[in-house]
Amino acid sequence: MSVVDRALRFPVNALEYTNILLTTDDAVAGATPRDVVWTHRETTLYRYQSSDRRYRVPVLLVFALINRPEIFDLRPGSSLVEYLIERGFDVFLVDWGYPDEEDADMGLDEFVCDELEWAVRETLRAAGTGELTLMGWCIGATLCAMYCGLDRDGERVPVKNLVELTMPIDGRASNYAKWVGDDDFDVDTVGELWGSVPGNAIDFANKMLKPVTNFWTTYRRLWDNVQDGTARPEAYQPMAKWVADNPPFPGRAWAQWIRLMYRDGDLVRGRVRLRGRLVDLRRIDQSVLVITAGADHIAPRPGTMPFFDLISSQDVEHLARPGGHIGLVAGSAARKELWPSIAEWLAERSDD
Amino acid sequence: MEGGRNGAQSPEEQVRALYEEAESDATQAFEQMAAKPSFGRLLALSAENVAAMTRISFDAVDLLWRNLRVAGRADIVRLSRQLHRTEDKLERVLQEVESLRDELARERGEERVRQ
Repeated sequence: MSVVDRALRFPVNALEYTNILLTTDDAVAGATPRDVVWTHRETTLYRYQSSDRRYRVPVLLVFALINRPEIFDLRPGSSLVEYLIERGFDVFLVDWGYPDEEDADMGLDEFVCDELEWAVRETLRAAGTGELTLMGWCIGATLCAMYCGLDRDGERVPVKNLVELTMPIDGRASNYAKWVGDDDFDVDTVGELWGSVPGNAIDFANKMLKPVTNFWTTYRRLWDNVQDGTARPEAYQPMAKWVADNPPFPGRAWAQWIRLMYRDGDLVRGRVRLRGRLVDLRRIDQSVLVITAGADHIAPRPGTMPFFDLISSQDVEHLARPGGHIGLVAGSAARKELWPSIAEWLAERSDD
Repeated sequence: MEGGRNGAQSPEEQVRALYEEAESDATQAFEQMAAKPSFGRLLALSAENVAAMTRISFDAVDLLWRNLRVAGRADIVRLSRQLHRTEDKLERVLQEVESLRDELARERGEERVRQ
């Protein structure tokens, strides 16, 4: 297209570009029909509707405490939930909701020992089984690992399979550690002052890891696509909407997370205690699938690798793939490149 | 990148290539800057100050509100926390009831088998 053509088309393109940006909030993310199984405080457990459940062991999806779990079910045709249901899995999702100032006292203890513990219990009751598959993503994956590693006085955790997607285990070498790892930064006071750390503040910090890409290149690429006539609002908008949807992070849990992940490395050192019970990752003996992304700047691969040395599972598989923290599992290529591997791995381990 | 008719880049393509190079350089430079401890210190200090200023503003507005005998944010948070505590207790009671019901159903089943 010549410069003159571009200049002539500029007003139309500008209108289309603006329209895409301004109607992003109208995009529908998380459209797969689902039922509420259980609620407690801000937490909701959903079960996705399905008429073809072929596997006995249900899958419980657990997302991070930042952003929303709709990324598991981004849009029809590009939804991990939809893909798993189509292949006969019974899929549940735990949604942490939008914690506010009254939830400032929620720590990792509450998320692991209450919310996740009870969500697992309700999933088993609803599915009528004794075991499930836990599939965690980002901080959700770490919470799942902590849940499986928790001391239960000899009682067995009802988890048959553990799937960990882009999971941080030791973040002391990451850029976050350079920001918040210094003892001068008083995380407890900041967490207490804020009550719940605003989602926008966390989103801003995450975006500052790659400032030009996040604040400029994303929008410039959209403009290029509009000019070339290759813009796909149906793909761009649900993702953009999801990126901008940032619930607050309960202050106490945020301070605990920073200390154990970016300062002390307590999880890999086996020194995390939740309600006085030790979290020892050596207790994890389930079938484990770990997925890491080569270009992950949020949970870099080296920060996940210590996990393999700690767990005692005999059945461990690691899928080391190229891609980013979110794009690997929710990107346009995931349906062909990653989800079949996950479904195949699950299918072999989801029957009696 | 496509060449012009004689194999050379058109002026538009040259401008485009220059722009992309500049953007790529800027991306790298900003990422390097973000990875510096000094940048982290600046970000941490900003977070501390913003958190403190937010709290002071909320407290000041709350003080004004409460002096007008209107429920402020702190009162609503306190009420919500009380509701949460009640919900926590209710959840535990419900779980006890459910496990007792399961236990009863199991015992009845065993009894039926024995009969």
